[in-house]
Formats: sequence, C-alpha cells, structure tokens
Amino acid sequence: MSAWMVIVAAGIASYLLRVSMISAPDQIRLPVRLEDSAGLVAHAAFAALVVTSLAGTVVGTTAVQATPSVVAVVVAVVAVSLTGRSYAAVLAGLPAFWVLTAITIH
Amino acid sequence: MGPWLVGTIPFGLVIGVSAAEANIPTFVGWLTGPLIYAGSAQVAAIGMLDGGAAPTAVILTATIINLRLVIYSAAIAPYWRGTPLWWRLIGGYLLVDPSFTVGVERYSRDSDRERGHAHYLGGALVLWSTWLLAIGVGAATGAALPDWLGLHLLVPLYLVGVIVPSLGQPGVRRAVATAAVVAAAGFSLPMHLGLAVAIAAGVGAALLPATSRPTASERSDR
Repeated sequence: MSAWMVIVAAGIASYLLRVSMISAPDQIRLPVRLEDSAGLVAHAAFAALVVTSLAGTVVGTTAVQATPSVVAVVVAVVAVSLTGRSYAAVLAGLPAFWVLTAITIH
Repeated sequence: MGPWLVGTIPFGLVIGVSAAEANIPTFVGWLTGPLIYAGSAQVAAIGMLDGGAAPTAVILTATIINLRLVIYSAAIAPYWRGTPLWWRLIGGYLLVDPSFTVGVERYSRDSDRERGHAHYLGGALVLWSTWLLAIGVGAATGAALPDWLGLHLLVPLYLVGVIVPSLGQPGVRRAVATAAVVAAAGFSLPMHLGLAVAIAAGVGAALLPATSRPTASERSDR
C-alpha cells in the first residue's frame, strides 16, 4: 500500500470518527471511561512520539553522535519546567543541539 | 479562535517541515492536513511512514490518536440536531480540538442556534485554512533548510513544550510516563506498533487508579 493510500485510509477513518456520533441516534451514549480518556490520549501520544522520534534518531548511532539530540530534549524539558513557557522547548533545545553538534564534530 | 490560531500556526509549520524532511513525497505529507486534519495523528502518520512502518500500523495509530473525536462528536451532536445532513457532514469534517472548544463554548452561552452555527463554521473554516497554509509554508521552506539546523528535532522539541506544562496533573503525569516507557521498550516491535501500544498503555495507566479509588460506601465504612 502506497503512502498515498495510507493517508487516504487514515483520513477516512478519522472522518468516520468525527461524524460517528453526529449521525447516531440520540439515545446512544458513550461509556464514561471513554469520555474520561479523551484528554489523556493526546498527552500519551505526544510522549510516545517524543520517545520514538528520539529513538529513531539515536538508535544505531554512537554515543557521541546521539548525545546532541538526547541532551537537546533534556534541555528542552528543563527550560519549559523552569519558565512554564512552551516555546522555551524549541528556543533552548535547538541551540543546545547546535552547540553540542559543533563540539562533538571537532 | 484567535488564541488557538497563535498556537496552531507553529504546530502547522513544524508538521510541514517534518513532511519535507520525511522519506515520503512532500505533497503526501501535506495531504495529512486536509485528510487526517488533527496535528498529533498527522505527526504520527508522517513519522511512521518515514520510518517504514506497516500501513496497518500507521492507520491503526492515527485512528487510536483520533478516538477523542468520537467524544467531541457526541458532545456537539445535541447542538446540531435538526440541521440538514450536509451541514453535519461539513461541520463534522471541521471538528477538531480548537473548533470543538470554541463551538461548544458559544453554543452553551448563546441560545440562538443559527448564530452559534455561523460562529462555529466561520471559526472552523479560518482554522482549517490557516492550518493547511501553515503546513504548506513549513513543507515549502523545510526542504530548503540545511541539515545542521537539526530540524528533525523540531517535532519532539515542540511536543515537549506541549507536554511539560501539563505534568502537574497526576493523570497526565501517569499517562506521559507510562507512554514514554512503553514507547521506548516497544520501539522495536514489528510494524512500528510500539506507538499504538504506548498510547493505549499510557491512557490505561492514567485511568487505572480511578477504578481502585474507594467508592463512597467504602469511604463511609472507614
């Protein structure tokens, strides 16, 4: 299956989820547990995406090659924790990556 | 909708850049915008396709991430009763976190449904067009930027910025910690299923303590 078809299939599935309850009979109600999970899915997905993105970058590389990416993410976590600002993650993380890459190359 | 747009534009740019960097046609990455139209699922789909994940794993993961849309759909459905089918199909297509929040907020404080519908549709269309434009700009510029910029880190860093401020909530903390650990442990799972398993484990871990909490009758026994 090509990337095109995968995106189209995922898009159709997403659309069906969107209109599922809009077009359902009024008496159909969602389980409470499912409603409780709504706010948690995005956070769990984001955490899993961070880890898999990072793992995809560093797995198969040497410790020296992996260090800039790993440290950049750690710096981002610390920066956001200290400032409470979401944008601090990119503003602190990317420069940390650039500096460490420059150091490890030389 | 204004504050939502401010947060949406950088995320759209990041997704566009990741689409340009990924090992798939850039236009296919951009297409996740109008077709999947939900940032986190788009990031997952692009990342997994880039990593060579099996098609079923990509579709499954995007669907799991977007399961929350069923809840949005159920919550907004009462306000759309009596509207024509075409309205519900178009309104449903535009249903995503910001449009849902802005729409329900307006419906709940304004009894004039027609004005509420106009507010929802107007805001949702502005969001949709801004989102697609932001992804397009990111995709167009991302491919031209040099490798040393480390743009492959843009998505994880952006997501760190979204996650960390929410860690004060115990449920979110459990979901994040569990999902991160399971994602690391399941990184080598076949078909890249680790992502879907990690999300399910994270949500499960966050909900689990609620079932072990003492019930009202148990508390009164003490």
